[in-house]
Amino acid sequence: MDGFEPLIIAFACNWCSYAAADVAGTSRFYYPANVRIIRVMCSGMVDSMYVLKALESGADGVLVAGCRIGDCHYISGNIKEEKIIGRLRTFLHRIGLEDERLRLQWISTGEGRLFAKTIEEMVSQLKKLGPSPLKERIGWNSRTFTVSSGSSL
Amino acid sequence: MDKQIRTGVYICHCGENIAGTVDVEKVAEYARGLGSVVVARPYMFMCSDPGQGFIKNDIKELGLNRVVVASCSPRMHELTFRNACLEAGLNPYLYEQVNIREHCSWVHRDRDAATEKANSLVRAGVNRVSYHEPLEIREVPVNPDTLIIGGGIAGISAALKIADSENKVYLVEREPSIGGHMIQLDVTFPTLDCSECIETPRMTRVGSHPYIELMTNSEVEDVSGYIGNFKVKIRKKARFVTDKCTACGDCVKGCPVEMPSEFEVGLAKRKAIYMPFPQAVPNKYIIDRKEIPPCKLTCPIHMDIQGYLVLLSAGKFQEAYQLIRRTNPLPAVCGRVCYHPCEDACNRGHVDEPMAIGSLKRFISDQVDIGGLEVPQITRTGRRVAVIGSGPGGLSAAYGLSLLGYEVTIFEALPEAGGMLRVGIPDYRLPKEILRKDIEYIQRLGVDIKTGIRIGEQVTLEDLRHQYQAVFIATGAHESLRLEIPGEETPGVIPAVHFLQAVNMGKETKMGKQVAVVGGGNSAIDAARAARRLGSSVTIIYRRSRAEMLATEAEVQAAEEEGVKFIFLATPTRILAKDGKVSRIECIRTRLGELDASGRPRPVPIEGSEFTSDVDTVIPALGQVPNLEFTRGLGLEVSSRGTLVIDETALATNIEGVFAGGDVVTGPATVIEAIAAGKRAVKCIDSYLKGETLAIKEEKVPERLSEQEIVDLKKRFPAQGRVEMPKLAPTKRIKDFREVELGYTVAQAQEEAGRCLACGGCAECRECEKLCQPVAIDYEMQDEVVEVEVGTIIIATGYDAFDPSIIHQYGYSKYDNVITALEFERLSSASGPTGGEILLKDGRKPESVAIIHCVGSRDQNYHEYCSRVCCMYALKDAHLIREKTGARVYEMYIDMRCFGEGYEEFYKRLSEEGISFIRGKVARVTDQGITEEEKGKLIVVCEDTLLGSIIRVPVDMVILCIALEPRSDAERVARLFNINRRGDGFFQERHLKLDPIATPTGGVFIVGCCEGPKDITDTVGQALGGAGEALALIGKGRVTLEAVIAKCDETLCIGCGWCKEVCEYHAPTISKNGRVTPVCVINEALCMGCGACAVPCPTGAISVKHFTKDEILSMVNAFVEV
Repeated sequence: MDGFEPLIIAFACNWCSYAAADVAGTSRFYYPANVRIIRVMCSGMVDSMYVLKALESGADGVLVAGCRIGDCHYISGNIKEEKIIGRLRTFLHRIGLEDERLRLQWISTGEGRLFAKTIEEMVSQLKKLGPSPLKERIGWNSRTFTVSSGSSL
Repeated sequence: MDKQIRTGVYICHCGENIAGTVDVEKVAEYARGLGSVVVARPYMFMCSDPGQGFIKNDIKELGLNRVVVASCSPRMHELTFRNACLEAGLNPYLYEQVNIREHCSWVHRDRDAATEKANSLVRAGVNRVSYHEPLEIREVPVNPDTLIIGGGIAGISAALKIADSENKVYLVEREPSIGGHMIQLDVTFPTLDCSECIETPRMTRVGSHPYIELMTNSEVEDVSGYIGNFKVKIRKKARFVTDKCTACGDCVKGCPVEMPSEFEVGLAKRKAIYMPFPQAVPNKYIIDRKEIPPCKLTCPIHMDIQGYLVLLSAGKFQEAYQLIRRTNPLPAVCGRVCYHPCEDACNRGHVDEPMAIGSLKRFISDQVDIGGLEVPQITRTGRRVAVIGSGPGGLSAAYGLSLLGYEVTIFEALPEAGGMLRVGIPDYRLPKEILRKDIEYIQRLGVDIKTGIRIGEQVTLEDLRHQYQAVFIATGAHESLRLEIPGEETPGVIPAVHFLQAVNMGKETKMGKQVAVVGGGNSAIDAARAARRLGSSVTIIYRRSRAEMLATEAEVQAAEEEGVKFIFLATPTRILAKDGKVSRIECIRTRLGELDASGRPRPVPIEGSEFTSDVDTVIPALGQVPNLEFTRGLGLEVSSRGTLVIDETALATNIEGVFAGGDVVTGPATVIEAIAAGKRAVKCIDSYLKGETLAIKEEKVPERLSEQEIVDLKKRFPAQGRVEMPKLAPTKRIKDFREVELGYTVAQAQEEAGRCLACGGCAECRECEKLCQPVAIDYEMQDEVVEVEVGTIIIATGYDAFDPSIIHQYGYSKYDNVITALEFERLSSASGPTGGEILLKDGRKPESVAIIHCVGSRDQNYHEYCSRVCCMYALKDAHLIREKTGARVYEMYIDMRCFGEGYEEFYKRLSEEGISFIRGKVARVTDQGITEEEKGKLIVVCEDTLLGSIIRVPVDMVILCIALEPRSDAERVARLFNINRRGDGFFQERHLKLDPIATPTGGVFIVGCCEGPKDITDTVGQALGGAGEALALIGKGRVTLEAVIAKCDETLCIGCGWCKEVCEYHAPTISKNGRVTPVCVINEALCMGCGACAVPCPTGAISVKHFTKDEILSMVNAFVEV
């Protein structure tokens, strides 16, 4: 769809992935402006309900980002989250949502480049997929805004 | 929210950083239009004083009860603005920071898109802040003790600073001495101070400081708690040398084991008992004992095998023998007949062949005149023990009990002592003389052996029970199993046990010339080989194939060499007689079927395949059972297999005071197992008679080597094969019963013993113990685990030196004279292996040296970072080389990094000393010389960028400036202390510029090279900074607790306990708490606020303050607004 700009809501953990997003900023790794980041203390804090609400309310994709396995500041939060997202994915399949709309990505503090790349990839994938099918069903007006997704990658 | 929300929004320009991309005026405009917003101000630098002033003013003047600042990352300034709110009287948690810099202006180029995103983010922030609740700020006291991990110059400096303020420090160091890498250096740049000279006074102060508790050879095992209140478990590993050590060094003289010295970076050797270096603190020795070697673990009596092998290598035969005797009462016997399970476990087997441990043990006992050995003084207890049976089990029990002071009498049914050793094993394997000598020694200990007395005839078991305080039954298994075929009673059928007994006692055997031996165990082979020596033609008939034979492979081979014939896969069906004597044997062929109870394939007879052979003697050797005739009427419990039943641990039978062990309990087994049983009986009977409880030691199983460990072994030890045991030629052998194995010569024995891999490190030969006058050596020392409570933790674990072997083209570990900078330090040190002389491996002085910079650093393939100290130490090394050898020095560099005080001056001074600086990366180091000048040299092929060409520089020695890299166990340390590592592998500081010592984990600080490569000046600076951090906490005495923690709404909680299941910090407990049903109560000091508990909560009773469902969803709502 021409001019379609997907909305990505990202949940990023304070210790690793949010910091990685900061590092992407200090290093000026450019990425598209389609993402909105919500800081959580741990990826394990991200209840399935938050992801569902985000998708239901109009997000085209959701990113849950946390520390690498073994590095979680709270030891096992990311491991628990991995299981929760796994179950959630099964449910999302049943309601016809494509895999690319929910992404779980482990990004450590120093990996600013990886953060930017993740956003780039998601935006590109979601542009191909088009708006979330949930939007049609709940009568959501599609949004368009002009963005030039410049990237230094 | 009973009051109306009044929000102030502040948009920061951050100079051009935000305003350059985001239209801050528009954002402010947008914010003003939002519901609860009372004021929206853009400003140049919100974090500045005036910026913060706006916030404070507006709170007071405009009655704001919520504040939002849209600026940099909250990880940057959240605290700054929270404090501003606090100072103006607003609870700091009624504040929200919106990141429009790192997450917006710095990563997007399009102004419109960035501004629109900023609007969206601000809206989310305004939404969220309205849900914020004021949170209580709680303080807890700080424990004034500090834990410092790492005893290098960083740890030492921090420890001394804190200890001098009269606060206690625990300093934990993994190595046996503090000092770190600095103590290995010769001189330090740029002043060329002697490194040891400046460090050792500090080390001494640490060792004797009243406020420092030094734990060396120790490691942290577990950490729990939080800032101000940590609980740490530390394992103090055993040194095996107690504090009585006076550092006299006498022990070292006796130690025969050499190992590479870690302090000398492998350039020199040290002994297994050693002090790392002369100025070690603590100034005590330590024994390097690795895991118990597999040979010792596998041996049923756990002999100190590596110990006596290493004493043999050192020519100390008497000491080796004494070491064997410590655990083995029958050394000469075992040296000849033991089936050596130790050899099967020997790790040398992975390289070529296992050590010939049995043959070496035999060699050692042959060197000693056992008749001339002194017998130890024994204090008699007056208690008496009877032993029935003088086989290996009975003899061992008698030996051990006698040494403990008991009066022991052995009752032996046969006319001579020795049991199966005497009557079962033929002389060509175990000469009578050898056995007699070992038995005589036991008799000299006071053991009385009464031969020719069969229990049940001249004296009964009941009699013995009355006359002695305890009885040990070790009668073995001397009855043969029957063939159970027709014709078995025919004269000419001689059971193997009887046959061998007759042969060994020199009696007539009634054997013919055509012998068939039936069976596949050692008795069958013994009978066959004995029969050969008596002139008969012998065939062994075995019902399975050769692979399943239970006899030792060496025995089977020897039998083959001696002309014994074998028929496999056949079993006798009947024995035919003529004239009342054996004339023929009929057998049936078998095939291998399914596995049976013994784990071997069952032999299945093949119908119609019978065949007969002419024989005049049949010797069944199917196995033995014990003769328990003498136990009848006593009520001794007997198993279905016909063996005595005992309590496995106490070796006790069901009758009080009567013990049993060896073949009579297990069925036919081996000599060494019988000895092991005899030795266990000593402990059991001793405990029983003293009325003490038996101490049970866990039997360990040797760990199998991993694939990688085997590969490493093969690299370190070239394959050479076992030294062959000289044997009599087979044709000579069968003429008589002379010993077949002739024994090693001294040279052969020492060569074979030299193949030992020394798996256990220290060989436990105990020579050091003999030489230690203060009696400071304690082999039984155990690790000690202690728990300490501290308020602050400082991590100062230092760096590892990069191993350049992986850079093949530089030739390290290929060419002798390519060395690392650390190895150079040891060469140059006066206390080093060359006494401070800079020498090539062959002892000559080098005439030319190349120093290659950036090996492993500034390299995409290994480490991208710069190691910071190498340029300076390269200059230092160049200076030392010029001074000591006058050699030409070439420095191959990329840049010269001389950033510190006096560094650039040092560089200038040295460039006038005639050192050649070549700017360019080195491609490779090769020994393939082309010109005459290059012959015999190492050629450094490198680019000279200033010349613009590739050059070849022939030198004698190459020094590699290796990178400083993170410790190999940095991962484990990071997890232990809950800190992170940066991308380069070093520990992550809280902020690169402004908070380089703290970590995101409160109370844990990182100092020195573990935070990143740096020189001694910067290391000490950082260490003192770490001390400052600790003292700041100690000074204040209290610390603010995290307010963002979980809370449980008890009205919703159903007490399911799921929260407790998932919490890593044990914060939730389920208790009544004054309610009717149990509910979750969260320990506020332990909760870390991660929210793991909130997710599985079925009723939503648990939420994390400041991160509630409402707060998060309010942001989602803002983002999806068009």
